[in-house]
Amino acid sequence: MSAATTLLEQVLNGLTIGMVYVLLAAGLSIIFGVMDVINFAHGEFFALGAYVGLSVALATGSGGFWVALLVAPLLVGLVGAGVERFTIRPLYGRNPLYHILLTFGLVLIFKDVITLIWGQQPYQFAKPPLLSGTVTLFGFDYALYSYFVIGIGALIALGTWLALTRTRYGLVIRAGSMDRDMVRYLGIDIDRYYTIVFAFGAMLAAVGGVVLAGRQNVAPGMGNAVIIPAFIVVVLGGLGSFRGAVVGGLLIGVIQTFVRSQFPFLEGLAVFLLMIAVLLLRPQGLFGNPEWGTGGEGGDLLTAGDADVFDSALKRRIGVGLVGVLAVTPLLIGLPSYYVNTLVVNILIWALFALSLDFVMGYAGLVSLGHVLFYGVGAYATVLAVMHLVPSLFVALAVGIAVSAVIAWVVGYLSIRVSGVYFSMITLAFAELFFSAVFKLEWAGSSDGLFGFDPVYGLFAGPSVGSIELVGGVSVFYYVVLAAVVGSYLLARQVMRAPFGSVLQAIRESELRTGFIGYDVTVYKRRAFVVSGGLAGLAGGLAAVQTGGVSPEFLAWIRSGEVIVMTILGGMGTLYGPMLGAGVYLVSKELLLGITEQWQGVLGLIFVLFVIFVPRGLVSLPGLLAGRFDRSPGGGTDVLAEEETEVTD
Amino acid sequence: MSDGDPLLRLDGVRAGYGETQVLDGVSLDVNRGETVALIGRNGVGKTTTLRTILGAVTPTAGTVRYDGEDVTGLGPIETVRRGVGLVPEERRVFPGLTVEENLAVGRYGGSETANRRDPEEVLETFENLGRRRRSRGTDLSGGEQQMLAIGRALVAGADLLLLDEPTEGLAPLIVDRVSELIREINEEGITVLLVEQNVAVALSLADRVYILDRGRVVFEGAPAELEANESVMERHLGVTV
Ligand SMILES: Nc1ncnc2c1ncn2[C@@H]1O[C@H](COP(=O)(O)OP(=O)(O)OP(=O)(O)O)[C@@H](O)[C@H]1O
Ligand SMILES: [Mg+2]
Repeated sequence: MSAATTLLEQVLNGLTIGMVYVLLAAGLSIIFGVMDVINFAHGEFFALGAYVGLSVALATGSGGFWVALLVAPLLVGLVGAGVERFTIRPLYGRNPLYHILLTFGLVLIFKDVITLIWGQQPYQFAKPPLLSGTVTLFGFDYALYSYFVIGIGALIALGTWLALTRTRYGLVIRAGSMDRDMVRYLGIDIDRYYTIVFAFGAMLAAVGGVVLAGRQNVAPGMGNAVIIPAFIVVVLGGLGSFRGAVVGGLLIGVIQTFVRSQFPFLEGLAVFLLMIAVLLLRPQGLFGNPEWGTGGEGGDLLTAGDADVFDSALKRRIGVGLVGVLAVTPLLIGLPSYYVNTLVVNILIWALFALSLDFVMGYAGLVSLGHVLFYGVGAYATVLAVMHLVPSLFVALAVGIAVSAVIAWVVGYLSIRVSGVYFSMITLAFAELFFSAVFKLEWAGSSDGLFGFDPVYGLFAGPSVGSIELVGGVSVFYYVVLAAVVGSYLLARQVMRAPFGSVLQAIRESELRTGFIGYDVTVYKRRAFVVSGGLAGLAGGLAAVQTGGVSPEFLAWIRSGEVIVMTILGGMGTLYGPMLGAGVYLVSKELLLGITEQWQGVLGLIFVLFVIFVPRGLVSLPGLLAGRFDRSPGGGTDVLAEEETEVTD
Repeated sequence: MSDGDPLLRLDGVRAGYGETQVLDGVSLDVNRGETVALIGRNGVGKTTTLRTILGAVTPTAGTVRYDGEDVTGLGPIETVRRGVGLVPEERRVFPGLTVEENLAVGRYGGSETANRRDPEEVLETFENLGRRRRSRGTDLSGGEQQMLAIGRALVAGADLLLLDEPTEGLAPLIVDRVSELIREINEEGITVLLVEQNVAVALSLADRVYILDRGRVVFEGAPAELEANESVMERHLGVTV
């Protein structure tokens, strides 16, 4: 094959996958533009489309593909309408973070529902005979199915564009994405359009799922695999811009294909570098306009700080008591040491991780979606230090903290100047960049990770006198972790009580006002980010030692999601809330694992209910039950009250 | 309900944002066919008054009556559907939509009143808008945006037009054009409640004037009365005539 035809083939391959991205990103982007919702569950609509299509096709026999192409999107659209109506709708008017959280919970639910119905095994979707084989155009052979994907994607994009520009609904939706309140002031009930927009977005994603199913396997992870690229497309094109979604989707598709064949060492990295560059240089993306829409401002983060009802003396007593119990736990009961060595240690480590996130999210209002980066970097740095540098665990952990803090400084330096949703996106991009990068790095163990270093100092044996184990098989490491977590908590508390902490909280309340008083807001945020990164690094380092090694899993975005879930579950803005959240999350997981395979879905459901009904987390529950605390100020039921706070004249 | 009743009546309206109270018992009437000006210094609550009439802010006490009916707390959508139209501060033209599309959004909303205009009608009467029908909102000059915001409210069918500082930031020549336009609109039967910083413009257009100071009405009367009353002008507006 000549160079020209190779290039042509790559471009066509890129456009094929790019069209699928367009179908995903178009809905994602319009949904964000109109209702400020960042929908992490969009990838699950895509997967659901493929699965439903599969079942429809099987049930209808020959010609089933065409029926599936029609019916699956409609069914998924219905699901989307239900999701909007019953879960998204109660949260309008709150900070967009809550939609991110909610849809993350929905991802867990959808995933488990899909495996519950269709199982874990991958399926093959039979292409209709009409679309099999290759065609020759201008003396060039290429798969007919790819032409079909490109064609149908183009057709749908065109149709969507026409609907947006030529119909009454489209016009109102576009106006709403620019200035929602003004649309209301013209007497139009924009809220009624939200269900339609959301359902339509879900339909487009489902079409993408069906057509991609004709090209590759249908498997449970397929939603997870496309959601991050789809976000990149949306950010690149400009949040809320349909044109941006189309151009961005095709561009990303082509770039990915091209990089894979020409610069394989950059595969997986290039798009994240591109996304970071775009966010830094032109946060509004290629076609977004910073003056249109809100960029996701508005609505407070609901912290638990003012919702908690216990006085500090009582809290101190509970805290000291808890640490005391933890310290003697191994001695006391007949608890199998397995629980102490794994579950309790895990809880402590995740508690530390959640604490580190809360430090920036709950106190400085920085919603980091990529916090796993610092956790993972800490883990890698610790392991590498033990393997190559010093045989001391403590020095290695210190190295992990330091490296994470430095990375946090760099990331913070670059990203803290962009605000709100863009900050969240850029942290996600950095985390994904590192995640992709470790696969390429020989010295970081590539996809296998690094295992088999020496458990130093006999930490994993219990202290013993002769042959008698002193604390029932619980390792010394348990105490190391306990000390690290308690120490970090005390440190964080000290920082928050110092003037530094007061400034941070003032920033969260009103960044503008704090700036006016004369504080350099960015500097404070950056410092908080470094401290938080260091703490997350310590958590990662401890986790690596606990695991006996480190693998790319340590950098997977799902962990960022999990730590956010824990933080919200417990109640952000209190240092102990997120730690409690970590405990409850992991214990629930442990208990559910014993009962059902669908533990993720159940946990997701609990979480969704929490986000809707108890946004201030577990620590607000006592007050809530006592009826002392309002459930959700600005929580969507009272549209008027919410508008009063939203509008700035 | 008789034609003698005011079209709009605020009675002891208190309102604010969260903890801060802005309006401290505002009462005012606007009769059918009138142009009423509401003036006062920065931050005294003029915009809040308009937002409360529109229903975008819910009063904590007092009532808003429109066309003989209690509309307190109905919310902006329902209030607008009864014939109230807002031309907001800063105009809030949809920046990415063309002039025609901006008007079309007004057409899809609003109410079917006798005063409802056709988009084409507006484009003809506001001839400079007609020339720019395919320009986007962002690309218009300040004066054109103001015209468009007014036109959009007319297309939405406003019987009562709430204008929030329509001449702010405009060149003197354009200020005259906009005031002329407001006068014409009023002559064609649309009732106007005008908030203005430019006292001269307000007094030249208004049949009656209210002065608002720290959330209270401190003066009500004809423009001539106000002009004659220098102490009021100085105390509540900080202007000397
Ligand atoms: N969305 C809001 N949230 C909180 N306070 C507000 C809000 N909007 C206005 N205010 C405050 O309410 C007070 C009255 O504001 P309002 O906009 O009604 O005044 P105004 O008379 O229109 O002033 P201006 O001449 O500057 O337009 C001001 O002190 C202002 O700071
Ligand atoms: Mg004002």
